[in-house]
Amino acid sequence: MKLAGLKSVDGAHEESVWAAAWAPAAEHRPTALLLTGALDETVRAWRADDLAAASPPARGHALGVVSLAAHPAGVIAAAVSLDSYIRVFDVDSGASVATLDAPPSEVWGVQFHPKGVALAAAGGGSGSVKLWDTEKWQPIASLPVPRPEGARPDKTGSGKFVLSVAWSPDGKLLACGSMDGTIAVYDAVRMKFLHHLEGHHMPVRSMVFSPVDPHVLFTACDDAHIHIYDAKEKGLIGAMSGHASWVLSIDVSPDGMAVATGSSDRTVRLWDINARASVQTMSNHSDQVWAVAFRPPGGEGVRAGRLASASDDKSISLYDYS
Amino acid sequence: MASVYIPVQGTEEEVRVALDHLPHDASDILDILKAEQAPLHLWLIIAREYFKQGKIEQFRQILEEGSGPEIDEYYADVKYERIAILNALGAFHTFLGKAERAPQREVHFKDATQYYNRASRIDETEPSTWIGKGQLCVAKGEMQMASDSFKIVLDEDVDNFPALLGQASVYFLMGDMEQQHKKALEFYRNSLDLYKRAMRAYADCPAAVRLGIAFCRYKIGQLDRARQAFERVLQLDPENVDALVALAIMDLQTNEAGVIRRGMDKMRRAFEIFPYCTLALNHLANHYFFTGQHFVVEQLTETALSSSNHGLLKSQAYYNLARSYHSKGDIETAGRYYIASVKEINKPQDFVLPFVGLGQIQLKFGDFKRSLASFEKVLEVHPENCESLKAIGNIYANLGENDKAIETFKKVTRIDPKDHQAFVELGELLVESDWAAAMEYLKTARTLLKKAGEKTPVELLNGIGLLYFEKAEFELAEQSFKEALGDGIWLSIMDWSVGSSMVSWSVQYRDQSFFHELEERVPLELPCDKVTTLFNYARLLEELHDTVKASLLYRLIIFKYADYIDAYLRLAAIAKEKNNIQLSIELIGDALKINSKYPNALSMLGSLELQSDETWLTAKERFRDAKDSTEGKDPYSLLQLGNWNYFAANRPEKKAPKFEATHREKAKELYLNVLKQNPGNMFAANGIGILHAEKAQWDIAKELFTQVHEAASGSIFVQVPDVWINLAHIFFAQGLFQQAVKMYQNCLRKFFYNTDATILLYLSRTHYEAEQWQDCRKSLLRAIHLAPSNYLLRFNVGVSMQKFSASTLQKTKRTVEEVRATVTELQNAIRVFSLLSVASTYHSHGFDERKIETHVEYCKHLLDAAKVHRDAAEQAEQQNRQKLEVARQIALAEEARRRAEEQRKFQLERRKQEDELKQVMQQEQHFERVKEQWKTSSNTPGKRKDRSKHEDEDGGGEKRRRKGGKRRKDQKTKMQYGEEEEDEYRNEPEDDYANITRDTGGDKLEKAPDHLLVAAGLEDSDAEDDMVPQSAIERKRRAWSESDEDEPVQGAVQHSPSATDLSE
Repeated sequence: MKLAGLKSVDGAHEESVWAAAWAPAAEHRPTALLLTGALDETVRAWRADDLAAASPPARGHALGVVSLAAHPAGVIAAAVSLDSYIRVFDVDSGASVATLDAPPSEVWGVQFHPKGVALAAAGGGSGSVKLWDTEKWQPIASLPVPRPEGARPDKTGSGKFVLSVAWSPDGKLLACGSMDGTIAVYDAVRMKFLHHLEGHHMPVRSMVFSPVDPHVLFTACDDAHIHIYDAKEKGLIGAMSGHASWVLSIDVSPDGMAVATGSSDRTVRLWDINARASVQTMSNHSDQVWAVAFRPPGGEGVRAGRLASASDDKSISLYDYS
Repeated sequence: MASVYIPVQGTEEEVRVALDHLPHDASDILDILKAEQAPLHLWLIIAREYFKQGKIEQFRQILEEGSGPEIDEYYADVKYERIAILNALGAFHTFLGKAERAPQREVHFKDATQYYNRASRIDETEPSTWIGKGQLCVAKGEMQMASDSFKIVLDEDVDNFPALLGQASVYFLMGDMEQQHKKALEFYRNSLDLYKRAMRAYADCPAAVRLGIAFCRYKIGQLDRARQAFERVLQLDPENVDALVALAIMDLQTNEAGVIRRGMDKMRRAFEIFPYCTLALNHLANHYFFTGQHFVVEQLTETALSSSNHGLLKSQAYYNLARSYHSKGDIETAGRYYIASVKEINKPQDFVLPFVGLGQIQLKFGDFKRSLASFEKVLEVHPENCESLKAIGNIYANLGENDKAIETFKKVTRIDPKDHQAFVELGELLVESDWAAAMEYLKTARTLLKKAGEKTPVELLNGIGLLYFEKAEFELAEQSFKEALGDGIWLSIMDWSVGSSMVSWSVQYRDQSFFHELEERVPLELPCDKVTTLFNYARLLEELHDTVKASLLYRLIIFKYADYIDAYLRLAAIAKEKNNIQLSIELIGDALKINSKYPNALSMLGSLELQSDETWLTAKERFRDAKDSTEGKDPYSLLQLGNWNYFAANRPEKKAPKFEATHREKAKELYLNVLKQNPGNMFAANGIGILHAEKAQWDIAKELFTQVHEAASGSIFVQVPDVWINLAHIFFAQGLFQQAVKMYQNCLRKFFYNTDATILLYLSRTHYEAEQWQDCRKSLLRAIHLAPSNYLLRFNVGVSMQKFSASTLQKTKRTVEEVRATVTELQNAIRVFSLLSVASTYHSHGFDERKIETHVEYCKHLLDAAKVHRDAAEQAEQQNRQKLEVARQIALAEEARRRAEEQRKFQLERRKQEDELKQVMQQEQHFERVKEQWKTSSNTPGKRKDRSKHEDEDGGGEKRRRKGGKRRKDQKTKMQYGEEEEDEYRNEPEDDYANITRDTGGDKLEKAPDHLLVAAGLEDSDAEDDMVPQSAIERKRRAWSESDEDEPVQGAVQHSPSATDLSE
């Protein structure tokens, strides 16, 4: 289990790169595309093998892109900007498909349902997860995050502030992470709140479910720790430490053996899940690493594992994972 | 059966008195003696018999009666017997005096002297009186006088046996007392001569004389002959204890196992014969001490003590007792006995061992001064005794006299270059001052141990590890710690081979059930000499950011050593780092249960409490307790008290300026106090800098901050990010925006991995002041990205975009691109404000809805204007482009024509010269016209512009004035500064494009940091003007202090622990 640097693009954006996602290979396009979004208000697409620009930058993502998610079919993707709009667009042409917002609140992390039937967005200060259907782009549900029993009152006196969402690979569970570190878990089929996962007390900015064990959730938190939860059984089953600062992003390898994390300590780390230990640290970025993403399986070159990272230093990097 | 016969006066009869059956009441006998006027020698015989039988009182009664004045009168001519009686009494009192302690002793000696004097008055030449006097003098320790007395006798009678013996013993004793070895030998020789004379005079003398000879020979160093003499004594008197003991000691001194055993046998026999021989008892006690039979030791020494008055022997006995208790761990009793032992010794040369023991015990009790004195006594005798030197070194180290300690240990290494302990100590002493030397010494120690084939002690490896740790050589440090720790349960915990199945252990630091369960399956062992190293290893793991493992190790330590208070505190620190405040407080509570006065725990609790509105007042108590428990010597607790006072001065609820001033004074006093104790304390200097900054004494503050900044930049261990921020604030206040920006950015990057939204806010404010709208906006967007729930940042982004748009529209020259961007930005601003506005109905983030509405309205207004501008600009651009196109085409046509003309000209050179000139002139005129047209066309939207131009100038004027005012005011007091700020901010709305509101975003942004801690939107746009000056000043001051100073102080509280942690 190791990473090997393949290619880096310095100045990939004019400003800090804050989001990255892989659009999987589609019928019309045999390879996956890497999408990145930045403070320069653009979303750009890069070829999977050499990080060559695949199309001109898509502008108009006002105030900067904070989150990106690609539809599993590889045709469309969603980008969230600080102006709190979700812009759904065609990956190849960049053409707008839909513009969503969830007033009165802003939007942070977005994720498509594993089957692509819905889009979930972390609703920030509204303290809820918003769901849209992906055909007509109509709102399906708004899942509020209840306050845990005996919760400590927030300093601001406001409710939960929701930052991140993750779907389990079977689509049965939906998790949502918040500023205060608690993670709400929902039954995504019946749209019902199940329970909170506790252990973090700082913002959880990124989460991902294991592809091999649909109950296992990996979380990245500002407390510099990675937690491993059994989201179904409401249990903390592991914790990993090693980053010197906030863990900003996390993704799990398609084989389910490793997770990669990006941190404000400017490194990308690879972790062996079974050994619960950091196995490699990449220090090629010179500023916060806001996004890490494993290339999804499928398409050409499927056997080769790829990891992409995006950083505040305006660069993006591609690694071989084996 | 012995009897005496008392002749009955006037008859031939006698009364027979059986000496075995003397009546219990001596009066009966006395009556007979007196009645019959018995010869005095009979009195003496009877008295002596009583004495032999141990009936001392009766003895005394008879003799005292027999020396009374009646007797003197009656037996006036019986001289010898009267003298004998008096001498007997004298000897008796001498004996009593020897046995007693002062002052009783003196009384007896006085009585004895009186009796001898009376005897002398009867006949001053009587030798037995002189001998008695001599012995009295010996008892009193007056050797010279004793010698004189004996000499008088010997001058008369050279062979007087008792006098010879007396004189011999005087010489012997003088030998013992003599300091100089040579002279002492001389005395012993004299003594020996006398003993020999005595023996020659009386060939069948008692064994005691031979004993004297033996001792003299022993002292002179003729050991073989001494032995012979002792053996001869034993032949004569097989039960002579002194000879037995002496032989035994000589055996013991041979250092040969067999002989020593024989010696011990002799000792035991001596003990059996006479169980009260102190010397024998001491030696036996010594023996049993080494065989570990402490009970026997105590019994023997107690007997020894009660049966001797000899100082040295008693000292040895006490020493044995002390040593026995010492080895049993009862150091208090041991200490008492060591002191008793030491008291019996005149000079340390006699017997130095109790000083060692005493020194050790005093050291243990922390009585360093006395301990030092004890060990120095040892050094008087044995100046190169390494153990004592090391003890002294340790004492100096404990007294903080490191130089002396180092000197002492260096001496040890010179005396014994293989003393690894001394090298270890040297290494540890030099850790702080001289890293390289320390490392060198520790490594030498390790090599020595390896050479000696010994196992490297844990402490040594721990020390080496710590040194590497300090040098940030984490890998080498880890190696050392691991080597020190060796195999153990911690390894299994570290590699997850145990316990990985346990659920939720990694967050519930106080739940130890994991270890309880574990213990049922595997033995959990943690040897106590490895705890410190394990703790250090955990600290290292923390440093490597592996807090999960570190916390497990701390918990293992606590599980095995529930009193290891620092482990609780580290867990508390980790919990705090993870923002789990509740858990952190609980863990500190656990620590305080172990030691309620532990300053570190109190300090930590205080800084946690300071962050909460409910508990910030009690934080002061914690800091004060911490200060008290360190007797005010701990700079950290003083610093925290100072910070607390500063914090209290800036609390919003404390309105009275009097309190503020007091708090600030107090803070200053505390900071100065710290600096007095510790002139290099950067945090205190920083604190004082802040206090000066508060009074707008920029230059002093800047000087201080700059110094701290420089000092901190040179240190690896101390990090003072606050001073970077403070310095940046000063740059900001002085209008040096470029420097401020740089300082903020460096600080963010160097200390915070660019994750601190507050500093980004400061940065954006600086950009705002510098009118760098785009940078301002970007900084704010970054801040939002980092702190998504901070709505204040969103508001400020809105304001910055509004401000950008307004200023762009005010520009006289602007591109279409700029105007287009303006429109976009205004749309964004409206979006941002609208979202905030809607959110405020939903969500209490503290903004006044009306104000947001105003902003929205203003931006919409601006947007309309901007759209007009844009359209106009676009139109103008279009026209421009068209005209440029026309001009270009004309120019092209002209060019073509000109070329054609030139061709023609070439052909019709001379003829058409004039025509050509004319044409060229025409062309030029035309071109001028085109240019003219351009100029006027670019002035077309002028009408709309006029007003904005005017406004702009107006605003610029305001600004200049304001800045001038600020510089002027900088020199003044804080209060005035506050007012000035009020002016400054009030000026702001007037240079806005449209005078819709007096409270614009500009104002808002200026105060932005204020709302980090206080709910935003305190001021109402309408209320602004009506604000009473007092509260306005108060508010402004707060804006300044909270934004600029308060945060750094909190930072100081947070960051200074890192410094102390390292010192742990």
